[in-house]
Amino acid sequence: MALVGRSVPRADGPAKVTGTARYVDDLTRPGVLLGATLRSPVARGRLRGIRRDPSFDWTGVTVVTAEDVPVNVVALIEEDQPVLASDDIRHAYEPIALVAAEDPVRLARALRALTPEIDPLPPILTIADALGRKTQIHGPDNIFATYRISKGDAAKAIAESAVRLTGTYRTHHQEQLYIEPQGMLAFWDARGAHLVGSLQCPFYVHKGVMRTFSLDDAHVDVTQAVTGGGFGGKEEYPTLLALHALLLAKKSGRPVKMIYDRQEDIEATTKRHPCEVTISSGCDREGNLSAVSVRIVMDGGAYVTLTPVVLSRGALHAAGAYRWEHVAIEAIAVATNTPPNGAFRGFGAPQTIWAIERHMDRIARELSADPLALREKNLLRVGDTTPTGQFLKESVGVQRCVEEARKASGWDRKRAALGPAAVARPVSAILRRPAPGGSASRKARGIGASVFLHGAGFTGSGERKLKGRVAIDMFRILKEKKPRFTIRTASTDIGQGTETVFRQIAAEALWVSMDRVDFATPSTATVPDSGPTVASRTVMIVGSILESAARDLFARIEQNRQDHGGSFDDAALRLIARDGTIVSEKTYETPADLVWDDATYRGDAYPVFGWGCDIAEVEVDLDTFETTVIGFWVAQDVGKAINPVLCKGQIEGGTLQAIGWALNEKMVIQDGKILNARMTNYVVPTSLDAPRFTTILVEDPYSKGPGGGAKGIGEAPMDGGAPAIAAAIEHATGIVRDDLPLLPEDLFAAGRTGP
Amino acid sequence: MRMTFVVNGLSRTLDAPPLARLLDILRGPLGLTGTKEGCGEGECGSCTVLLDGVPVNACLVVAGQCDGRKILTVEGLASKDALSDLQEAFVKEGGAQCGICTPGVLMAAHALLAANPQPGEGEIRESIAGNICRCTGYQRIVESIRNAAKEQATREPG
Amino acid sequence: MNPAELALYPFERPGTLAELCRTLSARAGRREKTVLLAGGTDWIVERRLAPAEDPNDLPLVLDVSRLPEMRGITVAKEVATIGAAATFLEIKSHAVLSRRVPVLTAMAREVGAVQIQARGTLGGNLAGASPAADGAAALMALDADVVLASIHGERRVPLTQFFTAYRTTRRAEDEVIVRVEFTLPRTGAHQVWRKVGTRAAQAISKVALAGVAEVERGRGVRSGFGMASVAPMTVSLPSVRALGLAPSLASVSDEELDAATRRDISPIDDLRSTAAYRAHVASALVKNFFRELRIAAGS
Repeated sequence: MALVGRSVPRADGPAKVTGTARYVDDLTRPGVLLGATLRSPVARGRLRGIRRDPSFDWTGVTVVTAEDVPVNVVALIEEDQPVLASDDIRHAYEPIALVAAEDPVRLARALRALTPEIDPLPPILTIADALGRKTQIHGPDNIFATYRISKGDAAKAIAESAVRLTGTYRTHHQEQLYIEPQGMLAFWDARGAHLVGSLQCPFYVHKGVMRTFSLDDAHVDVTQAVTGGGFGGKEEYPTLLALHALLLAKKSGRPVKMIYDRQEDIEATTKRHPCEVTISSGCDREGNLSAVSVRIVMDGGAYVTLTPVVLSRGALHAAGAYRWEHVAIEAIAVATNTPPNGAFRGFGAPQTIWAIERHMDRIARELSADPLALREKNLLRVGDTTPTGQFLKESVGVQRCVEEARKASGWDRKRAALGPAAVARPVSAILRRPAPGGSASRKARGIGASVFLHGAGFTGSGERKLKGRVAIDMFRILKEKKPRFTIRTASTDIGQGTETVFRQIAAEALWVSMDRVDFATPSTATVPDSGPTVASRTVMIVGSILESAARDLFARIEQNRQDHGGSFDDAALRLIARDGTIVSEKTYETPADLVWDDATYRGDAYPVFGWGCDIAEVEVDLDTFETTVIGFWVAQDVGKAINPVLCKGQIEGGTLQAIGWALNEKMVIQDGKILNARMTNYVVPTSLDAPRFTTILVEDPYSKGPGGGAKGIGEAPMDGGAPAIAAAIEHATGIVRDDLPLLPEDLFAAGRTGP
Repeated sequence: MRMTFVVNGLSRTLDAPPLARLLDILRGPLGLTGTKEGCGEGECGSCTVLLDGVPVNACLVVAGQCDGRKILTVEGLASKDALSDLQEAFVKEGGAQCGICTPGVLMAAHALLAANPQPGEGEIRESIAGNICRCTGYQRIVESIRNAAKEQATREPG
Repeated sequence: MNPAELALYPFERPGTLAELCRTLSARAGRREKTVLLAGGTDWIVERRLAPAEDPNDLPLVLDVSRLPEMRGITVAKEVATIGAAATFLEIKSHAVLSRRVPVLTAMAREVGAVQIQARGTLGGNLAGASPAADGAAALMALDADVVLASIHGERRVPLTQFFTAYRTTRRAEDEVIVRVEFTLPRTGAHQVWRKVGTRAAQAISKVALAGVAEVERGRGVRSGFGMASVAPMTVSLPSVRALGLAPSLASVSDEELDAATRRDISPIDDLRSTAAYRAHVASALVKNFFRELRIAAGS
């Protein structure tokens, strides 16, 4: 059939291009009310009460407060976050009360007729204040989580190295800015609680609803509506929104729809964790790396949410794609009184990869080495071990990624021709550099690179604990002469193309055409728990469960055919005639040789890694410090591309998010409040900002990946973009930036003060 | 206020508040939910429709100003039995991922190809610069539009 | 306020300019609030941010987008007349303007993106009096006049004197901006539009410079500038203009240009940028303008 490896058209494409795809805001139910949220105007305080304007006509308006919440916790990793604040206010925009009304005008007015009465308290707003314990806001030390990874003796090895370098690298918040804001439709009936919403992980919501309302799983049904982007932003947050909508629905006795306004969405929902990383390294004069010591501090915001897992992933990527004999990593996440940070594509890795890649450029600068050659010399290979002691058995395509990107971008030629040497020079000279003759504009070009890895799938023993399941059903519609198949999985398509790629995998394993394979709408009432749609695990892990379920089914049919003759379809229909709908359900089997110890952080952190090399070419206007990305080359080892067009789409989209993080996006926070929570001032790239991408798919298959070796690809593109851009700017201008972002104002300020 | 629009070729008369947003009229009384709201302030372009052939953000247009005018939405692009070249190309070339910006992008691109059947890459990028896409990095969108233009050219030679 | 609340606002569409002026005058006399609505690209966005208005005292919204007296673009006898309700898209697409006044075409092309260009108007740009208004900066460089109408007839205010403070203009309550007029730059005049925005499109200016200059035998004979986002109002850079009329442009030094720019602007830190960056970029754009001007004039 050869479906795998082919760019078949998107299965959900026709509905999306004709406007018939139904997103949550396109849905309604008879008698539906609209819901809204009353939020805290201050970052920290004590809630004394909520005043209701007595002159307002409250008829037909439902108000829910903490007293109405049966079990007032959001069930995530920890249960520290209330569904509605009852006394402590821990961040600006924290939900305090909920309102529902028939129409948006009444709703807006009712919301204005509620006033929270809060005694403000001094907040902790920065990592430094949290670590300095200026005030105690979480536990004894304001620390959410700590991890340590060690291999060899890093301190000693650094001390003995010929070249010892230290740098501190900072990254800032980032908003997911999916174009469809968060939304949820909730109602209750005799069967319990029902939710339809924009979400990545139906079973996360399911768990939260069961906990807050003390329901068993048969009385909660969570269904994914067509979802307009997530990028992690719809991983854990929809649980809270679902609880809100359900509370209003319960109290009003009506269906309730809550759709966030863009500003509310930016203000209240999770963002990428800001991070500070200090790296000390030791190497010899030839650039052979020996030892690295890394200290990571992430700002978790006001509640734990998924912070420990983000921090863990950050720590596990902190040494980059390189061989180090000695490694010491310490990672800490602190609490602050800012909106909780959470999942965002890359999940901690972009922060630490920014640091290690900038540090690699620091080493190259010190040694006057070509930055790409320095990296190449130290790349991990099959047979090497990672900082956790993981032995790399297979699928380490990083060398090929570097070679392909180097060749396609013209690195060698451009590195020599453009920009100054990779040696720092007085940057004040930039402001005096004369314009070339005949032209008034002064522009400089440069080229920079990054190399990265991304652990595919859950960290450590995650999959072993989760036991993800997928089912494929075979059935017959009336008198049709061929059986049909339906994939049932909790893995959601939020734009990445899950529906399409899963159909390809299943149809190929069953030897049937794709149009006979359907993808069931993910609903907790009808699909098995395949685990969340996160961690670059959908194709690699869940896709492999699906492939195995489909192969099992194929084997049963084939056995029947051999026993009783006829065609494949004849055999399938015989099975259906005998047993009714045939269900093939499989549970993920973690490869037996994967060993991980949570206590020591030793072992196989990930089943396999994705690898990549980014090369950016930029032009910097030396008057305005505007950076234009004029070329971008990505080579990424994806194991096996099931659908090359969709695969490239993931890589290009993720890379542009990384470029935006570097060059455009900046969250301005003052007193714990976000000052630019609008699309006009939280600036993401347009089509004119985006470079033309050259995307190279390197395929070094993973033996246990579906379709002949697919690995996780979704997050890796977020890892390398920012450091490649920073390196290119450095090459063009001599301006060295260790902190994101790289806005013109930042380059200007750096250009004036010098390194 | 009583008003009449021609929406996707059909004349529609309704009573609506004159300052209601065109977006709400389309998605509400007219039942055309293909037009999406992403920001409500003319920044994201998800609600792009064509007003007398020109792309506008339906979140910033008031209904009273549309009386007597022609509106084309994403629901009006396909013929009864076939997707338009643009729609087809977006499905094949990866122009749509999550799909929420897609209706708006399609409308902007439709206006471009109507005025300029053989646009260059720069013209394509400029024509969709008011449509924010967070999924694709734009490249597959640009390819989709370019391919649709090619397809159109082969269909209508000269 | 919630945008849904817009549905409550009263709305009328005057059929003629005279009718509009009568309504404006009557309402101003009664101290009733009136909003003139053209493209709505500013006003509707601002409603979201503004506190909700008293539902018993909502302003009357008057649609001016289709008044014939405020529409159209004409060029006659070396004077360009642009209706206040002409859109940026109409300006961008106007063949004569693009030939003779590229500074205006380039500006219009960089306002928002096509969706905003299709709705936004020069009249709205001027009436809103935002210091970031690109249209105001370009028209200021062209030394345009603003023509206001009321029941008392028309009056004309040079754009360089139109803005009086942050978001404040000389337009009276009972007046409407009907059109702008300016004398076309000579063929071959040096015209520059340079917008430094938050991104390549769909951006608001951090600094934008419009410049129009004519040179005869090394001597500046026309010198017009407008700069956005460097002061509470669009600025005309009077000190820089004076240097643009120097008897010998070749002798104008970068130091003089820096000093003049510094005198003419008062940038601030805000969400979009910093005062220091704006001051630097403003100077750089001015110096680049003169550098290009000398190159153009010298050849």
